Parts: sequence; structure tokens; C-alpha cells
Amino acid sequence: MTIEQIVNATELTVKVAGRLDTTTAPELETFLKQSIEGVEKLILDFSELEYLSSAGLRILLTTQKAMNKQGEMIIKNINETINEIFEVTGFIDILTVE
Amino acid sequence: MITIRHLKKEYANATPLKDVNVEIHKGDVISVIGPSGTGKSTLIRCINLLETPTSGEIFVDGECITDKKCNINKVRQKMGMVFQSFNLFNHMNVIENIMAAPMDLLKKSKQEAYDYGIELLRTVGLADKAFNYPDQLSGGQKQRVAIVRALAMEPEIILLDEPTSALDPTMVGEVQAVIRDLARKGLTLMIVTHEMRFAREIANRVFYMDEGGVYEDGTPEEIFDNPKKEKTIRFIKHLKVFEHLITSKDFDFIGFNTDLEEFGRRNQVAPKTIYRAQSVFEELAVQCVLPKLDKDFKLNVAFEYSQEEETLFMTLKYDGDTFDVRNTPNVISFAIAENASESIEYAEIDEDGFKNLVTVKIK
Ligand SMILES: Nc1ncnc2c1ncn2[C@@H]1O[C@H](COP(=O)(O)OP(=O)(O)OP(=O)(O)O)[C@@H](O)[C@H]1O
Ligand SMILES: [Mg+2]
Repeated sequence: MTIEQIVNATELTVKVAGRLDTTTAPELETFLKQSIEGVEKLILDFSELEYLSSAGLRILLTTQKAMNKQGEMIIKNINETINEIFEVTGFIDILTVE
Repeated sequence: MITIRHLKKEYANATPLKDVNVEIHKGDVISVIGPSGTGKSTLIRCINLLETPTSGEIFVDGECITDKKCNINKVRQKMGMVFQSFNLFNHMNVIENIMAAPMDLLKKSKQEAYDYGIELLRTVGLADKAFNYPDQLSGGQKQRVAIVRALAMEPEIILLDEPTSALDPTMVGEVQAVIRDLARKGLTLMIVTHEMRFAREIANRVFYMDEGGVYEDGTPEEIFDNPKKEKTIRFIKHLKVFEHLITSKDFDFIGFNTDLEEFGRRNQVAPKTIYRAQSVFEELAVQCVLPKLDKDFKLNVAFEYSQEEETLFMTLKYDGDTFDVRNTPNVISFAIAENASESIEYAEIDEDGFKNLVTVKIK
């Protein structure tokens, strides 16, 4: 997994590429915790995310909760497989997916 | 057509071939399989005299090519060679790559070499790429050109050393289709491959290499369904089943996934299916079962692919209390696993200390 970020005033875009699974999820969790302070709009670009497991979903959930208090979180460019995971887990209703 | 007697090849610190004795007949399509480092490439390279055998003899159409008096270039003309890494000349376009050897060695006229080259390109669907340069082609296209280049010399046998293993998975099919076509036309082929389904369906003979030689030689049915010798049996079993015993919560998860992908490639399981298998493994085994197990535990994971039915099964066996994974409180993980499966079944067992058995048919 690789994480790239673009900061634009209070808008933060985070591009996650590769596999977001049991082993890599903690790394994203730490990164997001440190980075979302003062952020009003968090955009997660998943255009190059290949694999997502429940371990990754949990981080999306905690980050969504945190962002609800300070602004919004948007997920962009998910592929079909990841969309399917959002659907079967009901996350599609909790997250904002564009 | 080719007879190999007591072939030995020794390097300073390895002797991959100790004593090889085989006969290759005209029209044979031979798949050469076996563990890494057992001399498969060395054998092919010796036949072609890219390597000088340490001792032994190789006869081609009755002529002893290992004899010093033999004209190596004449012999090589009878043999086409296709490598893993294409080896096209990058400063020449496709048709020039194909025409070079026939003009040079077979003394064909430019027109003849061109006409035949185009005709061959047409058979592999690449006539429109004749004037492109190699770096303008995909890996699969380059390899098809490399095959055409070998064919242009009108060889009696084509030796292919892992022709598809450097390719992106999406391009393996197109190259295999071309090779299958050559086999159908009756060309004599010898192919080293790690793709077992292909090895099986294309060949009339399979060489399993181990212990410094052709350890077992038989029809695809004999080698894949009824191997007779110990090492072949172990190799074939290991091919069909990917099994891993986990005894620590810090097991090598990344390594496991890599091995599972490699297992998928060997058996030509669709990448999508392997993706689902990884997902099911992570959600059921890692997320649902592992947290339930004691400190000292054992969890056995096995994947088995049935080529006939094109289905992949995963079984999980674990010790500890009886725990039907379908009742897991972890509904998110289970939902993902369920979506990637045709069925998830559970049974209580008592076998080698295992108490629980989960059988999953991957979608
Ligand atoms: N040029 C060389 N010099 C020294 N040792 C060599 C040379 N070529 C091969 N070997 C050794 O000979 C053995 C057989 O190698 P070879 O490449 O034939 O195996 P292989 O069956 O083709 O393996 P793989 O499936 O990995 O391609 C290996 O131990 C290798 O290290
Ligand atoms: Mg080799």
C-alpha cells in the first residue's frame, strides 16, 4: 500500500493505492489520525486501490465519525469490486461515495 | 528425431544434469515440468548447444551434434528457440527481426523472407504490426513475434523456455493459443512451463525433472493423475493443493497471499477468483477465527482447485472450542466472505486435534 496526500488549505486529498488489508490498515489509520486535524474536507481517492478488507472498512468508519464532527469525508473513484464490498456490508449508506 | 544419451552437465558448483536419457520423436509435444533448479533450462540449452554438455551424446536425425566435427550452425537451424524474455532486436522492426536469420542463414531472398514472414505474422494475428518496433508492442505481441521469428527458420523442433512467465496475466492466453496452434499443426515442441493446465492439455508427453534428470516420463494422464514415483507424487500433490499451517497470530500474511497468487498462476485460476479467495481467507480465518483461538493454537488452511469443474475450495481446520464461524459476531467480515463464496459450510470434527472444519466454495 502507498499513501499520497495533497493539502489545499482545509481540504486534504489522500490517495491510497494497492492493498488495504489486515497488515496495511494500521498504517493508514495512524496516517489519517495525524493528518485530519483542522481538515474540513477529506477526500479519499481510491482510483488505485486494488484490495479492501474489513480491516480497511473499520478505519473508514472511524475516520468518517471523526470527520462528521469537523466537516465531511468523500470517497472517490472506487472500482467495481470495492463498490461491491461497500454494498454487501451496508457501508454504501454510511459513506459518501462519489 | 532427437536421442539423448548419458547427458551430463556440470557447473563449478552445481550438476543439474547427471544422466539424461531420452528419445524425442517427430511430432512430439513435450511439456517439461519440475521444481526450480532441476535443470529444465539447462536441458533445453544443451539440446540447442547454447551450453556445451560436460559429457554424453545428443543425436539429431542420426547426426551426433555433440561431436566436435559437427557444424553447430547447421544444427541450430533445425531448432527454434523461444525464451522467457523475447530477445527481439530493438533497433529492428518486427518484419526485419523475422527476416534477418532466413536471409542470413537460409540464404532466402529478401522477397521470399518478407513474404513468408508476413504469412506467418498473419497466422498469429500480427500482420498489421510488421513495421512496428518491439518497444511499441505489448509483452504478448512481442512473444508472438519471437515465436514467428523461430518459425521463419522452418525448424524441425521448437524449444520454448517458459514462454509466458514474463507476461502480464492478461496476455498469457494469446501466446498459449499460438503455441497450441503449432502443436495442432504437428510441429515438434518442447516447452518448459510452470502453467500446469497448459502443460497438461498441450502435450502428448510430460517430462518431470528432478534428481539430475528426467525423473519420470509419461503421458499427461500418467504424470498428472497417476504419478508413480515418490518425488513426482509429491510435486503433483503440492501443485493441486496449497496448504499452510498457521500457529502464530503474527504469521506471514503477505507471504501467504503471495504464495496463494503463485498457486493460482500455476493452476491458471482466474485472477478474480484468487482475489476472492484472499478475501475469504482474510475475513473468515484472520478476522473471525483467529481472535477466537487460544494462545497455543493451530489453524490449517488448504486451497484446492478442480480443473474439471473450475472451482476453488478452501478448507479451514482449527482447534480450541467448537466454533461455527457462521455464527460469528463479526457480521461485516462474514458479509464480505459470504459475498465472495458460493457456499460456506461448517462441521464439528475430531481429527489430529482439530475440532472445527469450515468448507468454502469460492465464487
Ligand atoms: N551458467 C551457469 N553457471 C553455473 N550454474 C548454473 C548455470 N546455469 C544454471 N546453473 C545451475 O544449474 C541448476 C539448474 O538450473 P536451471 O536453470 O536449468 O534450472 P531450471 O529447472 O530451469 O529452474 P527454473 O524452474 O527456476 O527455471 C541451478 O542450480 C543453477 O543454479
Ligand atoms: Mg529455467
